[in-house]
Amino acid sequence: MDRAMDKETARIAIFFCQRVDSEQDINRRAIEKELGSRIRFFPLPCSGRIDPLQLLRAIEAGADMVYLVTCGEGTCRYGEGNTRAWKRLAYARGLIEEIGLEGERLEVIQSNGRQTIDEVTRSLLAQDIHVGPSPLRAN
Amino acid sequence: MITAERKPLAEIKAMIAPYRKILLAGCGTCVAECASGGEKEVGLLASQLRMDARIEGREIEIKEITLDRQCVYEFIDQLTSLIDQYDVLLSLGCGAGVQAVAEVFPKVVILPALNTTFIGETREGGVWFENCRACGDCKLGLFAAVCPITRCAKGLLNGPCGGSKEGHCEVDPDTPCAWQLIVTRLEEGGRLDFLEEVHPPVDWSKSQGKGPRKIVREDQKN
Repeated sequence: MDRAMDKETARIAIFFCQRVDSEQDINRRAIEKELGSRIRFFPLPCSGRIDPLQLLRAIEAGADMVYLVTCGEGTCRYGEGNTRAWKRLAYARGLIEEIGLEGERLEVIQSNGRQTIDEVTRSLLAQDIHVGPSPLRAN
Repeated sequence: MITAERKPLAEIKAMIAPYRKILLAGCGTCVAECASGGEKEVGLLASQLRMDARIEGREIEIKEITLDRQCVYEFIDQLTSLIDQYDVLLSLGCGAGVQAVAEVFPKVVILPALNTTFIGETREGGVWFENCRACGDCKLGLFAAVCPITRCAKGLLNGPCGGSKEGHCEVDPDTPCAWQLIVTRLEEGGRLDFLEEVHPPVDWSKSQGKGPRKIVREDQKN
């Protein structure tokens, strides 16, 4: 059964490492303006700062998909921030799977180091979303 | 510290099924250190339970609170003004904490969300290792601060069993042989003569067979 979600209405949270884009503050404003409140950005000083609780709270708030944008393997400015982030996202996936949600609602995007945050965002939005609308969306 | 692990979510859900208003209480000491019952874990479990209830169309109200310690009255007292407003207290404290809270609020239904496991150390981030059995007759000074009662699978007091392989226990190959550790440390410290002493069997009466233990210090009483 095709569970692909309508990308035009998907509610998306993006946690991202600010090191991915040194001009992220400016670059994400254009896409925020374009897409409105259905996409929310959460900058982090390093993706290693992510906590599973933040990911769960985003899902609880009604996000259909939560992305964590990290630096690529071996390129984290702080050495292991991204590897820790990947483990914490994996842990959070286990927690939402415990309550019957699809683990795929939490996804890591590794930056190639050459894209701005809006380019990363447009790139991930171009992909199909293989889960349906979150059952936690407010009516 | 005391270590614990969160119970399976299905078990927790079954316990709290009859209740709608839940006071979820964590502890900021041992179980926070082992990432099972601290403020973050309270938040995680509360979020899971709320989401689960919404998905299943159930009403639930969860109040999150984390006490500095759940085993000391002065901290438990922080619950006094709250507890009557809830149907049940779901505790993310260790077994000592759950029971201490129940002593203060004997008429309240108090449920454990953790399985208390062992006394141990944080060996490294994310890894906790049992190193004490609270035998009540500490002999660490004789064994280069490696407890053979806890860390030897066979609890041997007078040398290795001879079954270890490459310094690892034959009972659990993931565990270093306690006697290898003891001998190595004594050797490096020039204290191999400690091995010449023959130790009698552990006096288990100091920790078992007489019910719960108690310490009373008159000078510490209020």
